[in-house]
Formats: sequence, C-alpha cells, structure tokens
Amino acid sequence: MYSNEVEELLKSLGVKVGDVIRFSSGKINGEGELMPRSEAGNPSILVIKLKNGYNIGIKATGAKIEKVGSGESNTASFPTSTLKQNLGLPKVTLIYTGGTIGSKIDYKTGGVYMLLKPEELFYEVPEISGIANISVVNLMSIASEDMSPIEWSSMSTAVVKAFEAGSRGIVITHGTDTMHYTSAALSFMLKGINGPVVLTGAQRSSDRGSSDAFTNLVAATAIAARSNIAEVGICMHGSPSDDQYLFLRGTKIRKMHTSRRDAFRPINDLPLASVNLDSEMKINYKKSDYRTISEKPDKLEVLPKFDSKVAILKAYPGSDPEIVEHYIEKGYHGIIVEGTGLGHTPVSISHEGMSWLPHLKKATEKGIVVGMTSQCVYGRVNPSVYRNLRLLSGAGVIYCEDMNVETAYVKLGWLLANFGKEKAKELLNVNMVGEIKSRSMFSEFLA
Amino acid sequence: MEKLEKEINYKALGFACGLEVHQRLLTHEKLFCSCSAQLSDEERGDHHIMRMQRAVAGELGEIDRAAKFEEEKRRVFRYNIIDRNTCLVEIDEEPPHPLNMEALEISLAIAKALDLKLVDELQPMRKGVVDGSNPSAFQRTIMLGSDGHVKLGSRSVPISMMSLEEESAGIEEKKEGETIYNTDRIGIPLVEIDTDASISSPLEAKNLALRIGTILRLTGKVQRGIGSIRQDVNVSIKDGARVEIKGVQELDRMDLLIENEVRRQAKLIEIAKALRLTHASVGEPVDVTALLKDTKVRVIQNQLKNNGIAMAFAMHKFKGVVGTELQPDRRLGSEISDYAKMYGVSGIIHSDEDLSAYGFSEKEILAIRSRLSIGEDDAFAILSGKAESIAMAAESAVKRARQAIEGVPLETRSVLDAEKGTTRFLRPLPGGSRMYPETDLYPVEISEKMLKTAAENAPDFEREMSTLGKQVGKENAEALALSPRLPLYKFITRSISNADYRFVSNTLLQKFTELKRSGFDVDSIGDEKVLQAFKEYANNHITKQGVEELVKELARNPHAEVSALIKSKGIERIEGKKLEDKVRKLLSGSHVSSSKDAVSLVMSKMRLNVDGNELNELLKKLLDGA
Repeated sequence: MYSNEVEELLKSLGVKVGDVIRFSSGKINGEGELMPRSEAGNPSILVIKLKNGYNIGIKATGAKIEKVGSGESNTASFPTSTLKQNLGLPKVTLIYTGGTIGSKIDYKTGGVYMLLKPEELFYEVPEISGIANISVVNLMSIASEDMSPIEWSSMSTAVVKAFEAGSRGIVITHGTDTMHYTSAALSFMLKGINGPVVLTGAQRSSDRGSSDAFTNLVAATAIAARSNIAEVGICMHGSPSDDQYLFLRGTKIRKMHTSRRDAFRPINDLPLASVNLDSEMKINYKKSDYRTISEKPDKLEVLPKFDSKVAILKAYPGSDPEIVEHYIEKGYHGIIVEGTGLGHTPVSISHEGMSWLPHLKKATEKGIVVGMTSQCVYGRVNPSVYRNLRLLSGAGVIYCEDMNVETAYVKLGWLLANFGKEKAKELLNVNMVGEIKSRSMFSEFLA
Repeated sequence: MEKLEKEINYKALGFACGLEVHQRLLTHEKLFCSCSAQLSDEERGDHHIMRMQRAVAGELGEIDRAAKFEEEKRRVFRYNIIDRNTCLVEIDEEPPHPLNMEALEISLAIAKALDLKLVDELQPMRKGVVDGSNPSAFQRTIMLGSDGHVKLGSRSVPISMMSLEEESAGIEEKKEGETIYNTDRIGIPLVEIDTDASISSPLEAKNLALRIGTILRLTGKVQRGIGSIRQDVNVSIKDGARVEIKGVQELDRMDLLIENEVRRQAKLIEIAKALRLTHASVGEPVDVTALLKDTKVRVIQNQLKNNGIAMAFAMHKFKGVVGTELQPDRRLGSEISDYAKMYGVSGIIHSDEDLSAYGFSEKEILAIRSRLSIGEDDAFAILSGKAESIAMAAESAVKRARQAIEGVPLETRSVLDAEKGTTRFLRPLPGGSRMYPETDLYPVEISEKMLKTAAENAPDFEREMSTLGKQVGKENAEALALSPRLPLYKFITRSISNADYRFVSNTLLQKFTELKRSGFDVDSIGDEKVLQAFKEYANNHITKQGVEELVKELARNPHAEVSALIKSKGIERIEGKKLEDKVRKLLSGSHVSSSKDAVSLVMSKMRLNVDGNELNELLKKLLDGA
C-alpha cells in the first residue's frame, strides 16, 4: 500500500494502480505501468513497471506524473492443457488447503489463482494426467503457520468424503511449516482409511521453474494412485536433487530445515516408501510395518474433535517453572514438556524456586495430563536412568517413548477431546497409529 | 565470401545495432550471499545434485517462448557443488541474503561514469531462465537507471539501461539430454550495460565495446580473467530481424561477426523473396526408416541399428537454396541442421549436398524422392535419431525451413568460429514476459550519501587517461586502458606510495603476456599476491628480475606465501656492502678487464639477486679505482 499522501496525490491525478503513466522524477524519466506497493519498502515511493520488464522505484513527491493510458481490466484466465482425463486410471482426489502448490500468483494484483480444473493443473503438471484420474477440491487457502485444529478437523472430514466418493487415494496440498502437525492430526483423526492420504507442499514457490511444487505433486499423486499403504503421510523431496521422493509416516516426521527441499525427515523411523520420477515411477517400499489396503476394509470413521487446552512447554537452563502455574490457573487439560536429554527438567534444590518438580506435581494432582518428550528430537525418553527422572515420573509425568514433541502434543489434544482425561493418561504412551515404536533402530538417526 | 563484392552501405541497409556489456565486479562476497566472489579454477565438485526445470507461466499468463523451448528439450541439469564458493543460496535451497552493498557502490560509480539517470529505489526482479544456468530458474537483476551516454570521438552514444545482476553457473559439460554446471560462479555480481540501437557500423560497435570496457576497468573494481567481461550484440537490418549474438569475448573479431550477420540477414531476405515468388513450401516430416533399412550411410545405419528412426521432409522449390552460403562455410542447410540438433540428432543431410558421398544409393534416393513427391525444383532433407526425440527434431527442422520463406527468424546466436566470424543458432530470442518481482528481497533506496560516494568514485575517462599518460607515457596508457589488467595496475600503484609506474605497467603488460604465452597462468594469481611481489621490490627486497621469477613461481603455486617463496627460491636482493664483498671476491679470482665482462660475470652468478643499476655503479667504483 502507498502512503496516504501518495494515495491522495494519485487520486488528484486520476491515476490508479495498473494505469500507464509518464513520469519524471527530476532524475529519471520514462513511461510505465503503476504497480501496487508491496508491504516491503518505502510507501512514498512509486513502483513502476517499464516496458523492458523492470520495475523501478521513484519518489512520488516532486515527481511529475501524467496518466497516458488506463490499466486493462485483468481478465487473464489461465491457459489449459489439451491433455484429457484418463478415466481408466486410479481415482485420486486432490484437496487444496493452502501454500503455493496448485496455485498461480497474479503478480499484478498479488492475487492467487487456484488451478481448479484438471486441464489447468495438467497445463502446469502434465505428468499427472498419466498417473491418476484427478478431481480437485478447493477446501481452504490457509497459510501453514495459520493452520489450527479447526482446519485439521475439516481436512479429516473432507478426506472421508473423498474416500466415500470412490477415491483410491487422496493428495492434500499444504504449506510446509506445520505440515507435520497436520499429518499427525489426520493420522489420529482418520480411522479405517483404506488408501493412502498423502500430504505434500513446496519449499520453493511455484512461480519459478525450479520449484519443487511440481515434482512433489507428481510424486505424491503416484503414491496416492499406486501405493498399497493405507496410512497418512507426507511425500516430499528425499534430497536436494529432483530424483527421489520419500513417503514418510505422518506421526514420525518433522520439518528439520527452514528452506531445503528435503527438509522433512523421518524421526526415529525410516521412510515408508520412495518413488523415483522416471518413466516407470515404481514405488519402493522401505519397511513392512504399515497398514495395507484391504479387500475387506474397516469402517471408515472420523474422530475430528480436538482439545485446544493443551500446551507445549520447553525446559531449558534458567527456565522459570512458574509458567506451569499459569496453565493451571487457565484451566489447561494437558501439558507436553519438551525436556532436555532423556526427559529432564531442572529439579535442582540449590536455586530457590527453580525446580519444576513441585509445579509439575501440582499440575498432575489437579488432573492435568503431563507428557514428557525430548528436545534432542532423536531418541527415546526414559524415566528411570537418573534420580531426577524418577522424581518427575513419580510426580505423575508420563514419558512419551520415542514420540516427537509435535506428535505428542497433537495426540494429547486429540485423546483428551475424544476419550477424556483418564483414557488420555492411559493411552498417551501406548502406540495407536504407528506413532510409537518399541525398537529404536541403528539406521534411523539422521535418516 | 570474405571481403565480398563491395563495402556495405550500412545506412542504406537500415542497420541497427546495440551492445549489452556484462562485466563481473571485483567484490569480496557474492551479490546475495556471503560466499567468496573470487573464483579459483582448481576446484572440483564436493557434492553433486540433479535438477529439472520447467517453463512456468510468466507475469502475463503466457509462457515465454524461449523458456518453453528449453523445457521441450527436457534437459536434466547436474550441478557440481563447490563448497569454497557455494552455500545453499546458489543452489536455490535458501532465500537470498540482502543485497551486497559493496557491489552496489561499485555499480553506482559506473552508472555515474556513464552519466545514467538513476532510480530512487531499486526493485530486485527475477528474470526467468530455464536452461539450468541458474538453479533457481531465474536470474536476479536490478535496474539502476537509464538514459546515460558514452563519449566516443565526436559522438555521444546513448546508454539505454544499466542493471546489477547475478552471474550464472559455468557449464562444465554438455551432453545429450544433460548439462553439467559448476556452482562456483553463480551469484558473482555483474553489471549489464545496454547501449541503444544507434550504433552506425560494425567498427563503431567494436570501438564502443572497447571504450565501455576501459571505463569499467578504470574503476579498478572489476574482475579480470577469462569470461569476466562478455558482450552480447544485437543486430538487425531493414526487413530482417533482431538477432542477438551472445557471449562475444574476442573484441578483435566483433566487427567481423557483425558484418557477417548483416550479410547473413541480407542473404536470407533475398532467399525469402525468391522463395515466395516461386510459391515454395515445406512438407511434413515422414518416416523413411523402411526405405533406408539396408543403407550404407554410416550415421543413419548406426541409428537404425539401435532402433532409431529416419525421417525426411520435402522442401518444394528449394533446389539450390538449401546449399546457399549465408556466412563463410555456413549454408541455409547448416541453419536448418542447427534447429534439429537441439533435439539430440547429429544434424540433417540435404539434397543440395552430394548424397552419393554420404553413401546413399541411387535406389534409396529415388525411393525417398518418390515417397516425398519431389519434383525437379524441389529439395529434401533426411535426419535420423532415437525414436523418442526424432519427431521433435524433424518438426524443429521443418519449422526453420519454413521460416526461410518468411525471412530472418528472431534468434539468439552464439559464436561458432571467432576467426571466421561465424555464428550459430542457440535458441529463439526470449520474449518480454520473463521478468517479475523478487519477493524474497526488500527494495533498496539509493541514499544521498550513496550518490555522493558514487560521484567520488566515478572514473572520468579523459582525466584518468591523462593521469595514466603522465605515469607511463601515452602509448603505455593506451595499452593499459585496453588491458584487463588495468584494475590490477591501479590497485598496485595506489597501494604502493613510491611505485615505479613504468615498471609495474611493463611487467603487467609485456612480462605477464610473455609469461602467459610460455604457459604460466599469471592471471590466476590473486591481486594481493601480485601486490606483495611489487611491494617486495619497492622495499628493495628483490630485484626486477626477482619480480619476474616470483610471478612465475606464483603462477605455478598461487597459494604460496610470497616471503617464503623469496627465501626458498633464493631470490633475495643482494645489495650494499654485501654485494660489494661478493663482487670483489668474484673479480679477484678472475681476469676481467672491461666493465661489460664484469657485469656478465656477476650476472651469470647472481642474475636474480642483483640490481643492474647498483651493479653498474659499484663496478664503476671498483674498476676505476683499481
């Protein structure tokens, strides 16, 4: 947005964004199209797109501006492909929830155009037309960081609907930041699915030719159309190269890098499968302990409720345990502690008031379910190695085995809402959908 | 065709020509990350990744034709990641860091020297490129200003635009369906300077390129070495089309390249006229594999053996035209061939060539002619290749043959043979829809302070040349102005208060060139090391001969410590009392009579260690006194 003064000035000249103007800044003259001002940069500087394609900024004050042409109304529709649906291919539903994947940005208005028709999608990603018979559901358009349990619930309902309508597999496009929370939530909320539910996203926006959006979508569609895995997972790049794509279990995965294409890594686990985007697109299964598509499927159910009164607390040197009191006062039902090492919090007696022990004890006594995970990310927590751990465990803290903190948080919120406090305590550290493994394997670390 | 019929009247032909000069800047870091901007050619890839790129619809909804063209080729791109010069930014795994202000400072000084009118706020843009040369599939570029000019004799040539942008990746290897790049070069700051299209002759283009090069080097802040400056030349004539000749490095040959392009366009226009008069046409490609199954033509035989396919197409009323020479040793047939080659076939064979020399039998030729319904005035072309790529290759060749009826296609061409001044088709000329805002970066306001610094740093050509003339004489000054080592000269003479200008200039111009010819890679020595060598000389630690020796050693081993080399190679200067003692000792055991013999004797033992002048003085004293 331009500053108020600039807006006034433009108004007085009868100039709107999109119009062609002739300008003279005192330094530079020329002609070009007035562009909208993004939130970045000085709002009193006009951004003009020249004929050579460059944008430049000139100071509005003191500049001579003259309108020489009106902006054309933006009716540009997206080109479509001549590729047609192959109805004989496996039926896959593509559910958009946000992120740049599956969308085009209109650089003039900043608006996002969703590729809703298969022909539009095929224009961008022609490979998909040879893998699946696609139907598209534009469920929502929400940035990853703005996702909440409410969206998890509506996604799980949409997935059930798509399965009921005859889809063999589902692909969900999602912003990447919190995709692993969503995958965990869907893993718990969806019961009895009989096909793959594959989340995918892009670490590089789809406006660029190097975007991982296209190939991630192709790989995710291949998993949804061809794999026999009846679980929720995430499919993204396996390395910074565009060749191998991994399908990772929804509860044992974490975004481990802010920007790399291969940011999603399995945590205390190995990938379920991989797929190469060669002409064959063969699914390579990496493990065997997964639910498979069944001839006689279970009843498809959705348990979409979630208790938002669950918090994640991080213990660190100098952390003030008073914070626990806040959650007790606010009537929270669950706390997941991200402890140090094997599952520690400060329990020292040398510093008055710095021990977490009495506070956590009070919380459990008040009926709050307290779970312990580790900020090491990798490995399993253990309540009995050190005395301090035993003290915490004795205070009623539940040690969440090899679950990562995000999964433990999602699981606890879901358990509390759907099963109540007592059941939640009982089930938090018991495997339900593959989120806890009893064996920690050598090759899982930094996999 | 060399020095053809007559001198070309460029004005009458409607000659239009503009230059785009690309120059790498001498900065510590790259444009959008903290990697070193200094290349070192001994690097090998530490890691390797594979990428694919696709054309995406541009800002205006349409896919750019050049971008689409690259995608059709479905190339795989491999990158050798060189850790010394590469972080995640270059390989498109991390967003760009803020703009390198050192690069901006240098480019603003250049902009001032070119008298450009500057923008108030820089808007970083992405220019789509899907040939793999940028792992991000775009090049970041920022326009600094417009409407500048360069004085060239009595003329003032308008500069239409200048931008600051990132360098692309260097190609390591190109093979079928795959290009391998090195990542070290990606992101080095680069300025692009575009002149308008008013250049009046090929010679003026060359002189202008030389002048812009000198102005750039006078800043002292531009890189030297192979590829650090590149020129793209845009050429067209009336009824022709804009053709961009990319990456001209040999300025000596620029005029010839342009002249040949003018001749090529004139010839193509002539051909098109003639073809239209006769209602020429080009048929669709047809599969002729069956007709050639027993062929003796080696290239086709090899393809068919590997399940390849042979195709042919008719060019009606093209007889004699396909073989028309457009440039030295380059025919219309070569141009059609280039279009086919883009899809991995080895080229085309056409009927204006001696087909029997290829090994075609009479029977085969007849069969093809009959299959294509070829008449007396018609021509045809044959090509063979892999089943998956041959159709695209044939279609592409047909497209080019059809363009011959229209006239000159809009193209980007690359230099084929600099000596002969010939070029070849590289890709279609990109359209205008390749640019959109780089949303990962903030715009940068140009402050008054920055403008002031730029004005101070901007080189003034006349003034700088006069200063250089005073330092090294007019002739050397002119040679320096054209030398890529001018920034190094300025760096050294600025850094040493009592620099011997002529010695520095002679060493960098003559000695360096001689050494380079003898195989010493002197331009790989870092500026700091060269400076140290001259400092050692200025401080009387080594002699002039010692400097040369040191340079040789540094070219062999660019990372060696200068002081250590001086010691290990025994080239310390011997002077004063120590020299006198040594000389006395030498002379006493010999029977030299003339001072000339004495010099020879001493020099034969201590050539690298003794300063000539000092020795002469000393001998005068010793011999006269004797």
